[in-house]
Amino acid sequence: MTPDTALSDRELMVSRLIEGPRDVVFEAFTEVQHLSRWWGPDGFTTTTRTFEFSEGGVWEFTMHGPDGTDYPNWIQWMEIRPPDVIVLRHGEGPDDPEQFSSTFIFEEGTDGTRVTLRSEFKTKALRDRAAEEYGAIEGANQTLDSLATYVAGRSERPNE
Amino acid sequence: MARARTTADAFNAIAEPHRREILTLLKGRERVVSDIADAMGMNQPAVSKHLRVLREVGLVYVHPEGKQRRYGLDARGLEPVHGWTGGFEEYWSESLERLNTYVKKRQREEDR
Repeated sequence: MTPDTALSDRELMVSRLIEGPRDVVFEAFTEVQHLSRWWGPDGFTTTTRTFEFSEGGVWEFTMHGPDGTDYPNWIQWMEIRPPDVIVLRHGEGPDDPEQFSSTFIFEEGTDGTRVTLRSEFKTKALRDRAAEEYGAIEGANQTLDSLATYVAGRSERPNE
Repeated sequence: MARARTTADAFNAIAEPHRREILTLLKGRERVVSDIADAMGMNQPAVSKHLRVLREVGLVYVHPEGKQRRYGLDARGLEPVHGWTGGFEEYWSESLERLNTYVKKRQREEDR
């Protein structure tokens, strides 16, 4: 797979330039001490239970949301080709039927390293849901759904 | 672990069920304190306390009208909450932003 291949309706993609050489960027994916410093949206922290960076190896961790809610995460590395490609399976656990596959591609450029992530879901419905509400924060949506929906639908703003 | 102040941000403010109920009541229309208190079966000072927290984090605005103070929902205050429940794009653009910061920091450390 290359970053240029057209996306299917079961895929999502995000890409950004990281200001650093490719070996340093790739290394940030290979150890917990690095991953725990950046993995997850703003305000999230991670606690790792097991970690083995090898093909077939597993990273089991909990993501802690800003409101204290915990989310189980399970990642298995399927393919590791330093410093170009990492392919992994991601879900809540090894038996999670909604696991999806993510491919990270690292390309060296003049200004840094372009990291492209493509995630492929089992169905279009799962892909659509991930686009709207990331699986890891589903629990949060249960409490905040009505408020968030309201904000999304509100176009008129109150007077200052 | 010490708990964050209720006025620290919108997340802490809406952790309290009564405050979420107030926001729901203010959806779509402004209300005065007594109106909110009646609807919730609470006394006015308790409601005023909740309104003050909600105002401090920017979830509620006050609209003085004569002698009355009418309260309304300021949905912009909920944007951080909405952003947080955002999907894949949000999750990864924030993660990769953090990665960028981390990689730059490591390089600065190596330069020393």
